[in-house]
Amino acid sequence: MTRLTRVLGTGFAVLVGLFLIAPVVVTVASSLTTTSYVTFPPKGITLRWYAEVFGKPEFLSSFVLSAGVALAAAAISAVVGLAGGLAIHRYRFPGRGALEAVLSSAFAVPTIVLGIGLLQWFAQMGLASSPFTLLLAHLVLTVPYAVRLVLAGLAGLDRSAEKAAAGLGAPPFLVFWHVTLPAVRGALIGGAFFAFITSFDDLTVALFVVTTDLQTLPVRIFNYMQYDYDPTVTAIGTLMVLFAVVAVVVIERFVGVARLFGADTDHK
Amino acid sequence: MRTRTTRQEAERSVSTSTTGTPAGPAARRGRLRLDGVRKVLGGKEVVSAVDLETEPGEFLTLLGPSGCGKTTTLNMVAGHLGADGGVIEVDGTDVTGTPPHRRSMGMVFQSYALFPHMTIADNVAFGLRMRKVPAAERRRQVEEVLEMVGLDGMAGRHPRQLSGGQQQRAALARALVIQPDLLLLDEPFSNLDAQLRVRLREEVVALQRRIGTTTILVTHDQEEALAVSDRIAVMADGVIHQLDRPREIYLRPATDFVAQFIGEVNALDGTATGGGACEVAGARVGATAVGDPPAQGAGVRVYVRPEVVRIQADGDGLRGTVRETRFLGSRIRCVVATGAGEVTAALPFDAQVPAMGEEVTCAWRPSDASMAVR
Repeated sequence: MTRLTRVLGTGFAVLVGLFLIAPVVVTVASSLTTTSYVTFPPKGITLRWYAEVFGKPEFLSSFVLSAGVALAAAAISAVVGLAGGLAIHRYRFPGRGALEAVLSSAFAVPTIVLGIGLLQWFAQMGLASSPFTLLLAHLVLTVPYAVRLVLAGLAGLDRSAEKAAAGLGAPPFLVFWHVTLPAVRGALIGGAFFAFITSFDDLTVALFVVTTDLQTLPVRIFNYMQYDYDPTVTAIGTLMVLFAVVAVVVIERFVGVARLFGADTDHK
Repeated sequence: MRTRTTRQEAERSVSTSTTGTPAGPAARRGRLRLDGVRKVLGGKEVVSAVDLETEPGEFLTLLGPSGCGKTTTLNMVAGHLGADGGVIEVDGTDVTGTPPHRRSMGMVFQSYALFPHMTIADNVAFGLRMRKVPAAERRRQVEEVLEMVGLDGMAGRHPRQLSGGQQQRAALARALVIQPDLLLLDEPFSNLDAQLRVRLREEVVALQRRIGTTTILVTHDQEEALAVSDRIAVMADGVIHQLDRPREIYLRPATDFVAQFIGEVNALDGTATGGGACEVAGARVGATAVGDPPAQGAGVRVYVRPEVVRIQADGDGLRGTVRETRFLGSRIRCVVATGAGEVTAALPFDAQVPAMGEEVTCAWRPSDASMAVR
């Protein structure tokens, strides 16, 4: 590689990095402004807007709702993803092809279409808006992804290893526990992580499903911004970024984020 | 520690005595019997009425092309597939309906099938853990078996850090450490390069002779089968065509399939003349009947390997004209056109080479050729 291409390459990488990080920098910086409107660069430094956030109980209750639904979505996605992935990978049953097709095309459906559709469905079924309907709506987004990840994990598992374990004296449950489950462990954690982020982040679907009493954090911020565009919003945004960073660090501690997204970290 | 070992020994002798054989060395266990075993997969009978019986300590190979039912048969022996008919017995105990984890069989696979997330030591210890062997004893046995397969010092590695040959040794250790009734090898050498394949198979044979575990090998490689087996069962289309020692299989094939599948063969059509002899193109030639001798006058096919054919100037045998001679290094290939078609001879490199167009006689010892009813 010549010197020039190396310099250009580095320059390009820096630009891309800046482009990705700039909105976050703006949000974090402007949350510290002393002005009562959002501005960048911030004028002066104050933590007043953070105090504002904690002074508004509706934001806290929205956060609790969002986090609760996201946790549930993560857990259920992992379990259903495992069961669905195993069923599709291992068994031949009527409708298997259709199920796989639906699961893989679910990504292609715009979330706004999904929101409208779900609104209709829930109304028809007489389901009142509740954390439960919100969870159902988010599962539609997250389960297909979890199933996909589990399928990819299973594809990497040699069935002979399961046979070997059985031959060595492991009854079916222990074969599953010691051989099958470790093969999809990364997929399950990745699926759960994705489900949590998707659910916690979702605005489009939630807009259709929630009521005024039941607002997720993104919906709350969205509604708040329509009337007040003060730095409270950027303070919340900063807190959400912090929250995500903590989550990533925790997961990195236990599994490693790279491995979670299927990167092969073992270069032998 | 000492009491544990004693208890282990006691358990082992109890388990052998319950299988009906007197407590003795491992070599006395491992008598496998298949009686009319069948398997239907996807509407097709892939294994039809297979009968088989091994001697304890025997190395038996199921040899055949892909799709012949050899792997299906092995999977039924291991319990991974249920039999659709027939009986599978180990040491007199019917195991036909027994799930794999209650059969005592160590299996080694083409793909090694090691548990990727466990170290080599944990892989090998797996079977012992399932048997609730105490940790200290487990460590001792793992160490011992790893040394036996030449993997001492690799215990802490993960499978992906090992070469193919090393992984297969580890898989072998994992299968052997549980002291199985049977060792089942499913194409274990096929993923290795040619040199390593030969070396590892020699090691496996030596190990098997030493520990005396009855071993069933599945392979499509006839040279491998000839090299390692006490007996070979040649399979095609779900049936065993011939079950015999390698020498018999090679020199005296029972069917066209066996003759053609294993090496090169001269197949000559003739007529039985009774008393273990026959006539081919007007000449009397000797061949050994496999099974019942064919009735006088029956149409037979004689199978002669090129290596056993001698070319002589005269004498009893099949007369013909030399068509082609070719020096191949270890052998000289000589093709003779006879009344029964071309006969190929593989002569030793120092043999008297006949001239092209010379009239010669092809002869062989009757015990080195076989005949079967057409």
